[in-house]
Amino acid sequence: MSRRAGTPAERILGGPVLWTGIALLTAFALAPFVWVFLTSLKTRAELYATPLVYLPRTLTVANYVDAWTSKLTPFSRFFANSLWVSSVTMVATTAISILAGYALARFRFFGRQAFLLVFLATQMFPAVLLIAPLLSQWHALGLIDTYQALIYSNFSFTVPFTVWMLVGYFDSIPRELEESAMIDGCSRFGALCRVILPLAAPGVAATAIFAFVSSWSELLFAITFTSQTEMRTLSAGLLFMVGQYEIQWGQLSAGVIISTLPVAVLFTYLQRHLIRGLAAGAVKG
Amino acid sequence: MSYPGATVAVVAPRPLISRRARQILTGYAYLIPAALCLGGTILFPILKAIHMSLYNHVLIRPQEYAFIGLGNYARVLHDEVFWLSLKNSAVWVFGSVSLQFVGGFAAALLLHQGFRGRAAVRTVTLIPWIIPGVVVALVWEWLYQPNYGVLNDLLLKAGLLRERVAWLSDPALAMPAVVAANVWRGVPFFAIMLLAGLQAIPDELYEAARVDGASVVGRFRHITLPLLRPIIVVATATRIIWTFNYADLIFVMTSGGPANATQITSTYTLLQAYSNLDFGYAATLSVVLLLIMLAFTIVYLRVTRGIESVS
Amino acid sequence: MDHGHRLSRRRLLQTLAASGVIAAADLAWWEEPFLAPRRAWGATPVRFQFSVPEPKRTALVESLAERFNKSQTEHEVKVEFVPQAQARQKLISSIAAGTPPDCCQVWDNWVGEFDGMGALEDLTGKVKDWKHYKDVLPLAWQTVTMKDRILSYPWVVTNDGLYWRTDRAKEYGVKPPRDDWNWDDFLAFTKAMTRPDKNQYGFGMRGQGTWAVLYATEFMYGNGAQVLKDGKVVINSKEAAEGLDWYLDLMRKHKVTPPSVPTDGWRQIVEGFGRGITNTYLHNSGSAEEQKGFVGADHFSTVPLPVGPAKKRASFYFSETLTMFKGGKNRDGAWKFCTWLMDDEPNAMYCKTLGLLPARKTLADRPEFAKDPALAGFVKSFPFSIVSPYLAYAGWGGKLDSEGVPLFQQAMVGKLSAKECLDRFAEVLTKNMK
Repeated sequence: MSRRAGTPAERILGGPVLWTGIALLTAFALAPFVWVFLTSLKTRAELYATPLVYLPRTLTVANYVDAWTSKLTPFSRFFANSLWVSSVTMVATTAISILAGYALARFRFFGRQAFLLVFLATQMFPAVLLIAPLLSQWHALGLIDTYQALIYSNFSFTVPFTVWMLVGYFDSIPRELEESAMIDGCSRFGALCRVILPLAAPGVAATAIFAFVSSWSELLFAITFTSQTEMRTLSAGLLFMVGQYEIQWGQLSAGVIISTLPVAVLFTYLQRHLIRGLAAGAVKG
Repeated sequence: MSYPGATVAVVAPRPLISRRARQILTGYAYLIPAALCLGGTILFPILKAIHMSLYNHVLIRPQEYAFIGLGNYARVLHDEVFWLSLKNSAVWVFGSVSLQFVGGFAAALLLHQGFRGRAAVRTVTLIPWIIPGVVVALVWEWLYQPNYGVLNDLLLKAGLLRERVAWLSDPALAMPAVVAANVWRGVPFFAIMLLAGLQAIPDELYEAARVDGASVVGRFRHITLPLLRPIIVVATATRIIWTFNYADLIFVMTSGGPANATQITSTYTLLQAYSNLDFGYAATLSVVLLLIMLAFTIVYLRVTRGIESVS
Repeated sequence: MDHGHRLSRRRLLQTLAASGVIAAADLAWWEEPFLAPRRAWGATPVRFQFSVPEPKRTALVESLAERFNKSQTEHEVKVEFVPQAQARQKLISSIAAGTPPDCCQVWDNWVGEFDGMGALEDLTGKVKDWKHYKDVLPLAWQTVTMKDRILSYPWVVTNDGLYWRTDRAKEYGVKPPRDDWNWDDFLAFTKAMTRPDKNQYGFGMRGQGTWAVLYATEFMYGNGAQVLKDGKVVINSKEAAEGLDWYLDLMRKHKVTPPSVPTDGWRQIVEGFGRGITNTYLHNSGSAEEQKGFVGADHFSTVPLPVGPAKKRASFYFSETLTMFKGGKNRDGAWKFCTWLMDDEPNAMYCKTLGLLPARKTLADRPEFAKDPALAGFVKSFPFSIVSPYLAYAGWGGKLDSEGVPLFQQAMVGKLSAKECLDRFAEVLTKNMK
């Protein structure tokens, strides 16, 4: 949005209000994270000192080295596992829910309302009670300690939600657009790809991000369906720093930083390119 | 059913399958992958849980396994902890989601503006969401710790507190404290979803309105809000449901305590399942919660006129 | 739409399709597209689930497993580590799903529940034939015996004692506690060690988790109370209520405890002492090693619990067990492995590295255990240690957590009186006596 001299209200909103807002937003989002970051650089003595030590007087990267190379918690491996599982979940979920979301948003057929409600209702069920049945199911299929068990289990919470969100995004696009495309000779699927997706690009990107981030931070399934250290994901790995009597705050903080920053960077890259790619050639107006 | 605005100038030969039928078939076909996903992961366990709720199924007393019909449900009615947990759940859900929504919306509006460093701020906003929930709970638990947590330390130093406050151990403060942590975690969700909605609104609409002399507030009320409505409704509805079921944060921070002050229905279900090993009762609680949420959703969607298309 | 845009869209769709293909290929054929973990060929795996109280233990347990694997070729042990907080959930789920591990290391209070689920087999015969049967203390066998059936091996034993800061006592000129000190001494001691201005408190009381109830019960026993008497629940007797009142007054009246007590669990009381916020706390020997790292071995010591007005005291005795599951695939290997872990060297190595007490007498008499000052309080508490009375019924385990703890928390924050709390607690126990 270009900046131009507007009404006084606009100028206030665009100036001081905007910058105060941004400052507050950044502080809000970052404050606990900054604490975690500082903790990751402290020695054990400083971590447990009272009164509280804020800035580390002796900077140390030992925590990071420990976290990355530890045999119990090989973060390099966990990172790769998480990346793979989350990526596949993201791609598959997005594809599946684009189709389902489009059908539910555009077509009027018997059972549409029921489908919508069922998708929503499945999110109303606590994951905790899913564990035992899913465990026996994956065990019977021989999928324990595989990526597939985690990916399929992730669908249980990503797909219902992304379908609903995409129905919402698709609904805000007027029907006339794809109808005019179909009159021009486009197939239904073609209209979906060439007309709807570019317009819904931000929405699709958002739900893709949702699918990725949710499976990245998913914990319960990751712990229950894997028993080998090599197959563990980052979230499960982080929990190993939490003991019964003590939390290894130094390594845990380092682990959090290691697992968060790359995703944040990935997200920035993904968002820009995904939206640009999907929105290329968008039909507007 | 007719397609408004479409005029067919050429008479096409009658197709084998009518257009209507083709549309229906396509609709079902598009739904198959999603239905398979749900069928394979969640549908069967839900049905199994409904089935389990009709039985007396305590893991450590397998000899007493028997069909008791609605016996568990009758027990729920008389369970005062259940009703307390329902009340706590309401506070937890509506407190969290409303604050998350307001915060997220404000964040989305901010992030929609053009300013230098926008990409960085967008990334930063996402951070509370990327950290696994259990770790968020642990970090916030540490921040709230009365004697070695940052919050009390800073407040004492700033002179705003005179003596240490036990944020999580005081029955009156525990719920607000966990809600605050949940808000921190949930704002990015709304920010991202609403930002996507804002980005889809064509600039031309704003330009036209501005030319017509509409004020900032006017443009917001008549363009932004109506076009965002479907997304707002969906995001809040799904978030409400999700928060109802979200047990991790509370479980790690307070375990539902002190004295059930933060015991919400989903943590109570966890307790029944894994501490009492009463899977039948835990299943019953889940089904009851499911019914409550279904009823709420139907009402909510009707009131907000749901996700019907915006014309 | 010009060709440039169309091309980029097509490329994007191709990329999506390609990644979809890769995903599908993965789903169809590969199990792990990256470097696959080495699978043992030939030897039958024995799945040993180990819950990780401290990350330190894992190197130790892995080396033990490796040693066992090298010492024979019949069975291969694969250790499955689970974070402590998820261990119970994972075990219950896997038993319910019919896929339990072959053996695991769990606290004895879970053994009764597993037995109730029908997941364990009666080991009495096998164990009595074991060469070290008589070497294990009878009290230790008691912790794993339900209805006269021995159900697992007690590996490590522990009881409860009091940790206290020797350096702070010296700093404040407070006399060190005697081994036979009483409740008045205890109150005076903790009061003298409470300095709110320095952010220090005399006693780190526990308010969360099953052991919150147990520690309170230990004090109640000091006043002559009991949980069971002649088969009836008598935890709400007059002596019990008085004892609980005195115990809670530490928090309510004398304020020698930090404000976070109602939600303080194991981790918090250990960390509180480790950070110097509290100057004493009640716990078992398991955290002694931690405290050596936190405050330093020469800055703390342990002492038995004080004697109550009824001239009695109790310290509850627990064991960390090696439990084998009936539903495991390799029960023979599990038995061999667990028996091996109970042998002299592995057992001693485990206990010594972690500062715990072995269940076998000949090992416990070794100087590294008998003469360690950090373990002194626990060793001295053995004469009056009893198996936790709450182990009497399998149905009590979960109820302590779900209903007992909230009742005690309510008493702590003043919503219930001690007597009311105990009356309702007794009701819960009586209802679940099965």
